[in-house]
Amino acid sequence: MELYLYIALFAPLVSSMFSALFTNTPKKQFVGIVASLLIFTAFGSSTILLSHILGGGDIVHVEMMTWMATGNLYIPFGFVVDQVSVTMMMVVTLVSTIVHIYSIGYMDHDKGFNRFFAWLSAFVFSMMILVMSDNFAGLFIGWEGVGLCSWGLIGFWFHKEVATWAANEAFIMNRIADLAMLIGIFLVYWNTGSLQYDIAFPAMATLDPSTLTWMGIFLFIGAMGKSAQFPLHTWLADAMEGPTPVSALIHAATMVTAGVYLVIRSNELYDLIPNVGLFIASLGAFVALFAASMALVNRDMKRIIAYSTLSQLGYMFVAAGLGAYWVALFHLMAHAFFKALLFLGAGNVMHAMHDELDPFKMGGLYKKMKWTAIMMTIASIALAGIFPLAGFFSKDAILEAAFVEHHFIIYSVILFTAGLTAFYSFRLVAMIFHGEERYKLFGIDPHEAYKFMLVGMSPLLILAIIAGALKGTYFEMITGLLPNTEYHLHSELTYWIMTIGTQVFVALAIMYAYKKYAFSPVSVPDGTSKMENSFMYKLLLNQYYIPYAYEEYIVKPYNELSAALWKVDQNVVDASVDGIANIFYKTGENTRHMQSGNLSTMLKWMVAGTVALLSLAVVFGLAARYSGEIRTILSGLGV
Amino acid sequence: MEIGLNHYLVLSTILFAIGLVGIMRRKNLLLLFFATEILLNAVNIAFAAISHYYGDLTGQMFAFFVIAIAASELAVGLGLLIVWYKRHGNIDLDTMTSMRG
Amino acid sequence: MLDHILSILIFFPALAGVMGFMINKESMRAYGVSVAFIEFALSLWLWFAFDNNISGMQFMEHLPLIPSFGINYILGVDGISLFIIILAAFFTMIGIASLTDTKDVKNMIITLLFLQMTMIGVFSALDGIVFYVFWELSLVPMLYIIGAWGGPLRIYASVKFFLYTFAGSLVMLVGMLFMAYFFYQATGVWSFAILDWYRLILPESFQLWLFAAFFVGFAIKVPMFPFHTWLPYAHGQAPTIGSVILAAILLKMGTYAFIRFSLPLFPDASVYFMYPIAVISIIMIIYTAMVAYAQKDVKQVVAYSSVSHMGVIILGTFALNVEGISGSVFLMIAHGVVSGALFLLVGVIYDRRHTKLMSEFGGLAHVMPKYATIFGIMMMASVGMPLTINFVGEFLSLLGFYQQSHILTLLAGIAIVVGAIYMLSAYKKMFFGEVTKEENRNLPDVNKRELIALIPLVLITIWLGIYPKPVLGPINNSVESVVQLMHNKATSEEAKMRIPNVSGVVISKTATKEAH
Repeated sequence: MELYLYIALFAPLVSSMFSALFTNTPKKQFVGIVASLLIFTAFGSSTILLSHILGGGDIVHVEMMTWMATGNLYIPFGFVVDQVSVTMMMVVTLVSTIVHIYSIGYMDHDKGFNRFFAWLSAFVFSMMILVMSDNFAGLFIGWEGVGLCSWGLIGFWFHKEVATWAANEAFIMNRIADLAMLIGIFLVYWNTGSLQYDIAFPAMATLDPSTLTWMGIFLFIGAMGKSAQFPLHTWLADAMEGPTPVSALIHAATMVTAGVYLVIRSNELYDLIPNVGLFIASLGAFVALFAASMALVNRDMKRIIAYSTLSQLGYMFVAAGLGAYWVALFHLMAHAFFKALLFLGAGNVMHAMHDELDPFKMGGLYKKMKWTAIMMTIASIALAGIFPLAGFFSKDAILEAAFVEHHFIIYSVILFTAGLTAFYSFRLVAMIFHGEERYKLFGIDPHEAYKFMLVGMSPLLILAIIAGALKGTYFEMITGLLPNTEYHLHSELTYWIMTIGTQVFVALAIMYAYKKYAFSPVSVPDGTSKMENSFMYKLLLNQYYIPYAYEEYIVKPYNELSAALWKVDQNVVDASVDGIANIFYKTGENTRHMQSGNLSTMLKWMVAGTVALLSLAVVFGLAARYSGEIRTILSGLGV
Repeated sequence: MEIGLNHYLVLSTILFAIGLVGIMRRKNLLLLFFATEILLNAVNIAFAAISHYYGDLTGQMFAFFVIAIAASELAVGLGLLIVWYKRHGNIDLDTMTSMRG
Repeated sequence: MLDHILSILIFFPALAGVMGFMINKESMRAYGVSVAFIEFALSLWLWFAFDNNISGMQFMEHLPLIPSFGINYILGVDGISLFIIILAAFFTMIGIASLTDTKDVKNMIITLLFLQMTMIGVFSALDGIVFYVFWELSLVPMLYIIGAWGGPLRIYASVKFFLYTFAGSLVMLVGMLFMAYFFYQATGVWSFAILDWYRLILPESFQLWLFAAFFVGFAIKVPMFPFHTWLPYAHGQAPTIGSVILAAILLKMGTYAFIRFSLPLFPDASVYFMYPIAVISIIMIIYTAMVAYAQKDVKQVVAYSSVSHMGVIILGTFALNVEGISGSVFLMIAHGVVSGALFLLVGVIYDRRHTKLMSEFGGLAHVMPKYATIFGIMMMASVGMPLTINFVGEFLSLLGFYQQSHILTLLAGIAIVVGAIYMLSAYKKMFFGEVTKEENRNLPDVNKRELIALIPLVLITIWLGIYPKPVLGPINNSVESVVQLMHNKATSEEAKMRIPNVSGVVISKTATKEAH
């Protein structure tokens, strides 16, 4: 099994390095094909490992080599394939295989075709390290690695100012969270003496609760950055400047879920500190609603999907925070499938519309892009959580968990959000595929994507439909590692009322979206309608003015402070050094007039010197003579 | 009123102060020599007076030495002065600044 | 030959430099490269012959100079100094190899060879006076390099560099004289041998004063805030090769001296001054990083980033535990490699455009993709990306200091955020966007000679990032013995508590290793 582990881990690295060889050469089709094959190999190995674990096989744990060893610290490159990591590996390799294949078509005309695959495979490698590592340091390697690849891929079209700006924003904002994560890691090390999961977690049981709380908080702040939770969320929407396959793989299916993975992986820690768990769940619920509200009015197709990702991440944190780790992981998996599908579909639309992102300028594309339309509709149904698609099973489980744990506020928030989710998803679908063909006004001639891209997307389509059926098998497997809390309502009736009620609520939201955006005429907003001038609309469209506030109150002051400090460096610190040097220069400069060679002046100085020395002698002589008296006077004065 | 040691010493101090002011203020080399003479003679008066007061001749002997050395010094000094005057046509101290630092 | 390898390492380049005057101009470069290569090979041999399991000094040499005052020519290396010596030999080699069209190339190479002598001398000297002599001598070639080949402000920069560091080292010399005097008072014999001084336990009040005296010399050299202002001038005016050597090796003298002198000689004072120094380091880290962000000249960005990184090194040193000190020694190597490479990279673009202003560039990734890639790797290393050399050092330094203070480590950790800010924005300004200046449109990418210098640095950056053990192992052994010595010498209660007892730790370490 170890061989498969290494194949799964290193095939993406080989793929990345192979593609990197061709970065400076013109586009070569085979680079994409080889890369896809290698990632597929990783997928195959992951499948074998999955079947091994499913078949009740032992956890595969290898230690490849020492990384750092000094003093008491010992960090190896160790990898573990257990129930949790194998699930993540499946998600990562599956989605990335599909995205690789899809990218061969999507990046077809791009100059940086080969470079794109180098970065994309490097990302997969980092993500594999992140999920497979058996210690926090290894996790951190992957953590930073995905951050790096995300930087490279968001800024892939580096000639665009917005893209590079977004790349830097994402990297720096993640760095802030990484600092907290690093502190969390230090706390783990100095309190448990090790960074290995299998040593550190058992040792935590005996620790002081306040230490554990700090540990939990710092690690979670790390998770907040990567999973773009409030207030570190602004980078995710801006990250949509990257190529769409990147958005599908990194900013929907895998990297942003790393934070959830961290919380799930540290379940033993978070079980000990339920207060932090409750905070995580509350923040998750808040972000779910917060992000969904921003998605309601946005006019950028990819940003809408990005906000929906943010919102779904909030759901995952609700589950993880409430201790329903397996539910969180299940939603992570299901979400990866349908969200990647949605993004790839959006990529097809973008291609068709020549990179137009405003759904108000589309409409009626169903006729031209039948398959894409079907896929995106199904993905949206799954996202909305309609029976029997994947989203229903995972989202419903989260709702149930919140209800059973008696967190009714959280429950109602995420229930309401489910309605919003359905609305904005179908607002998007309705505006893109139904209604008038508004694109004609802009002289665009849309076309369906390549066949192989559609075929490549089909596994995601199938999984988005059937993933719910896997719940039983998944539950059996995952509870080998995670706490197997099942969430059953006491009364059968309540269960049915809740489930059917939710379904009806969601269905109504969908119908409303269709009514408003598909069956009634939609015009391109021009800033004149009543709704557009309402306060709420403006607030939501401007993302609650948070990016503006960051720009105004953090970025600008930082720039100004930096400039001011530079001035300080030159005019105060350096100037005082030069000042000291100048004292010597000036003293010399001024006193050299004494040595004028004029006998008369020199005689005067001689007399002055003699007088000075004589008076000194007199003063000291008197002081020595009357030292007793002086001492008495001084002591009388209290010195 | 009898003339005592203090009167001599006060005289010596006054002369010394006059000499001191002289060497500080005079710009003429010749007058500078006069001022140094006054300085030396102020000290000589003090030597002679103290010697007499203690009844010890060493002080008066010392005063003779000073007179002798002052005379020889003046001889050398005046010689140099004359050479300088012949070469430059004046004996103003402010022009003697070839050692300017 | 192995018995005298350190003397050979020190004086071979100097001798070769003297011989260099007889070589004609055309073959000078080949001569210089081969001398530096032999020197580098010798240093590798030193590493090969070095016994990793011995924590003390190896290849000791002893020659009496002024026995009545205890001044002797004593040399030796341990795990702490070994790699800096190798790094010095390495950077001299690639520095000479990558010399571009410099006027007076002959003088430059001879100067570099002399500089190499002084650098290796500093890191292998085990006698206070010999150390001091090499320490001061190292200023002369550098003064010459900046003053003769520098930019428009070169005279000001070089004089400032010289006088500032020289003033600091004089205070250090006074400290050394006192140290020897105290040794004389305690034992009745004069000695300047560092290993003798190690055995001397001073009362805390003496330690504080001596620590302060040494501190002035070292802090200016490092340079620590607020003594850092000579560095931007020196870097800004120095030719590429000068900046490379200055950043890679010369700055390390200060941090190395802290570990060689301050910590083991004055353990109580080190504990006493730990928090003030940590606060200075944090100011250094954040303040200079922000100043770096405000720079318009890319070389100044790298220069200020050096100061910022040196802050992390100092912080790791004053963690006073094995993790932190090992981390800081490793970070010295790492920072040498990375900042050296960054200065070389700045030199590459300076040679082409004769400007270092970032506003003159933009979109370089289109015209010079290879250059952009290498710069990107080095930038990421400088930012502290895991699996690059810098991360290991930074991680260990911060991890070590975390044991001493949580909140200060959190503040120091801001390094990874502010570091990313100035580096990424500088990279964006230079490489991203469209090519706006016509002159940039046809710039040639990195050529073979530049690649010869840069590729090894990239390889080392990644190799030691993934597998730091060959370097970290010997460092760890020597650092453990230093920490143990400090623990044993410490007199105050607090110092005993702050400085861990390593011998107890070793047992548990083998236990954990067996557990794996």
